[in-house]
Amino acid sequence: MGSLCKLLNNLNIRNTFSLPNNPIYRRTISCTTVKYDLMEFFDDKKNWGAQEVKSGRSWKKEELRLKSNTDLHKLWYVLLKERNMLLTMEQEAKDQTRLFPNPERLDKVEDSMKHLEAVVRERNVAYHQLETGETGERPGKLETGPFGLKFFYRMCEYPVPKHMNKKWHETHQFYKSNRDTEQFLLKYREKLYLNKRRKRTRDFNHVIGLLNRFPDLDMEALKEQYPDVDIEKAKASRKYGGHFAPK
Amino acid sequence: MSTRWYPIYQKGGPQLRVFLPNFWMKLVRPTYEQPPNVVQFACSMEMTKHDVKNYLEKIYNIKCIDIRTRIHMPKTRRDPGKGYIIKDDDIKFSYVVLPKGQTFQFPDLFPETEDIKQDHDKALDERKRDIKDSWRKNKHRPNMPGWFTA
Amino acid sequence: MRITDFLFSRVGKWSKQYSNLPDSYIKRAMEQVYWRNPKGIQYRANAAVQRKKYHFTMDRPWTEKFRQTNAPNKHHLKRKDKGKQGIIKEIIQERNWVIVKIGDDKEFSGVYVQTEKPLLVTTDVALVDPSELIATSIEWRYTEEGQKVRVSTRSGRIIPIPATAEETIDYKSRSTYKEQPKDTDAAATSEITFEPRLRTFEMDIMESMGIKEHRIPPKSYWY
Repeated sequence: MGSLCKLLNNLNIRNTFSLPNNPIYRRTISCTTVKYDLMEFFDDKKNWGAQEVKSGRSWKKEELRLKSNTDLHKLWYVLLKERNMLLTMEQEAKDQTRLFPNPERLDKVEDSMKHLEAVVRERNVAYHQLETGETGERPGKLETGPFGLKFFYRMCEYPVPKHMNKKWHETHQFYKSNRDTEQFLLKYREKLYLNKRRKRTRDFNHVIGLLNRFPDLDMEALKEQYPDVDIEKAKASRKYGGHFAPK
Repeated sequence: MSTRWYPIYQKGGPQLRVFLPNFWMKLVRPTYEQPPNVVQFACSMEMTKHDVKNYLEKIYNIKCIDIRTRIHMPKTRRDPGKGYIIKDDDIKFSYVVLPKGQTFQFPDLFPETEDIKQDHDKALDERKRDIKDSWRKNKHRPNMPGWFTA
Repeated sequence: MRITDFLFSRVGKWSKQYSNLPDSYIKRAMEQVYWRNPKGIQYRANAAVQRKKYHFTMDRPWTEKFRQTNAPNKHHLKRKDKGKQGIIKEIIQERNWVIVKIGDDKEFSGVYVQTEKPLLVTTDVALVDPSELIATSIEWRYTEEGQKVRVSTRSGRIIPIPATAEETIDYKSRSTYKEQPKDTDAAATSEITFEPRLRTFEMDIMESMGIKEHRIPPKSYWY
C-alpha cells in the first residue's frame, strides 16, 4: 500500500511548505582560510580541475540583520576574497578553454554582498532618521530638463554654494521657457492627450464587448478593473445588446 | 576609494575611509613574459596604483615594492555576419613587483591526471584507426568524395 | 499578446526550486546575447540583440544542451503505457509537462533505447486515489487547522504531498543536505550578535578598530 500510495502524488507540489525551517539547511557561504598570500587568489588545491564544486546558498537579509556590524565587516572581506578567487579561476578556465565548475557560486557571493550592503544601509538610514529626521543618503528631486520634460535629478556635494559655482551653472541646464520648447511641449502634450483619449475609448468599447459576451458579469469587479468607464453609459450605447431579434 | 557615492574631501576635514570596498582584482597569467617577482592582475577600472597597493597590503597582506598599471584596449574586429565593428571592454592591468627574494609562478590549475591522459590517448588512437580504416576501404576508389561510401 | 507567449518566456517556479540556483545565474546562463551596447553614455543605453522567446524542451534552460535546438528524432511509442500508474520523475513547468516513471529501469543493450517522453499535465495524467487506486480528480480544500490540502473527489480522502516535493538537484530532502567545506553552520548563522546602538556602521567599526577622529567636516553644499 505504501509504495502504491506514492503513485503520481508528487505530481502536485504546489503545497504550502514554508522556507527552510530545518536548521540543518541554513547553510551559507563562508571562507575560513587563514593563510595570507597570493595563493588566496586560487581555489583549494583539491578543486583544481574538478568537474563539480558544491556550495550552499547565499546569505539572506534576515540572517544578516542578526549580525553585529563587526561581523558584517568581517563577512564582507570573506565574500570579497571569495569573489576575487572565483573571478581568477573563471578567467583561467576561460583562457585554458576548460570547464569552470559551478559558475553559480559567483552569483551566490554577489547576492550575499548585495544583501549585506542593503542591511548596512538600512542601519545607517535608521540612525540618520532618528538623529536628523533625514535619511542621510544622497538627496535628489524632480527637475525639469532643457526640453521641458521631468526627470529625477540626483544632487552632488560641493564645497562652494550654488550661486558661486560658475562651472556648475555652465554644465547643468534646466528648463527655460522659449518658443521652440513651448512648441515642442504643445505637440508632446497633444500626443499624450490623444493616447489617453484613445485608451478611454478602447476601454469603453472593450467593456461593452465584455458585457455582450458575459451577461452575468460581476459588476463590482468590472468597475474595479475599469474605473474610468461609465458602465451605465456603456449599457445605454447602441453597441450593447448585440444582434438579437426582439422577442 | 570605492566606486560608490562618497563624501568629498575638504581641507581640515576628517580622513575619508572606505569600510566596504567593492573593487575586484583577479590574478591572471602574464600577457607578456615577466620577471619572476612580477605578478599581473586584472582589476576594476576605477582603481589607481595606490588603491591596488592598499588593497593587496591591507586585505591580502601582500607587500608590494612597486606597482604599474595600464589599460589594455582589445583589438577591434568586424562582426562576421553584419560587418559592423565590435570592440570588447577595456581591461585595467596592474603589475605588482614583489619584494626581493619573493617569486611567484602561476600555478597549473588544470593538472593532467593519468586518467584524463589515458582517455585522451584512447580517443586519439580510435580516431587514427578509423581514418586508416576509411583509407583502406577507399583504396580502390580514388578521387571519390569522403561522403561517398559503397 | 497571447498569454502562452508570456508564460513560455520565463522559467517556472518549480524548475527554479528544483535547480537550487540563484535567479541571477539562471538569467545569465539562459540568455543568448548576440550583441550588447557597452556601458556608458550611449544613444541607446542597454540596447541588446538577444533572443526573446525561448523554446523550452526537456533540457533545463541553464544547461548547455538547452542552446542546442537540434535534438535527434526519437520514436515515440504513443499510448503504449496508457492506464498504467507511475511516479513523477521530473516536472517541466514551462511546458506543463511531467515525466512519469513506470516500473523499474531495465538494463537494455540493444539499438533502440526506451526513454520516457513528457506527458501533458492537463490532459494526459491524473492523480491516483489512495484508497481505491483509481485515477481521480482533486479539489483544493482547507483542513480545520487551516492547512491547504488536496482532496480526492472520488472518495474524499486527502492525497498527501510527498516528501520528494522538496527535492532539489543538490539534496533529496533538507535534512539530508551534506555540509560543504565553505558553508557556515546553522548555529553560527542563526546566532544573534547584533546589539542596537545609536551609531552608524562606520562609527561602530571605527570604535572597534580603535580609530579616533575628532576633525569636524567643513560645510558642504548639496545641489
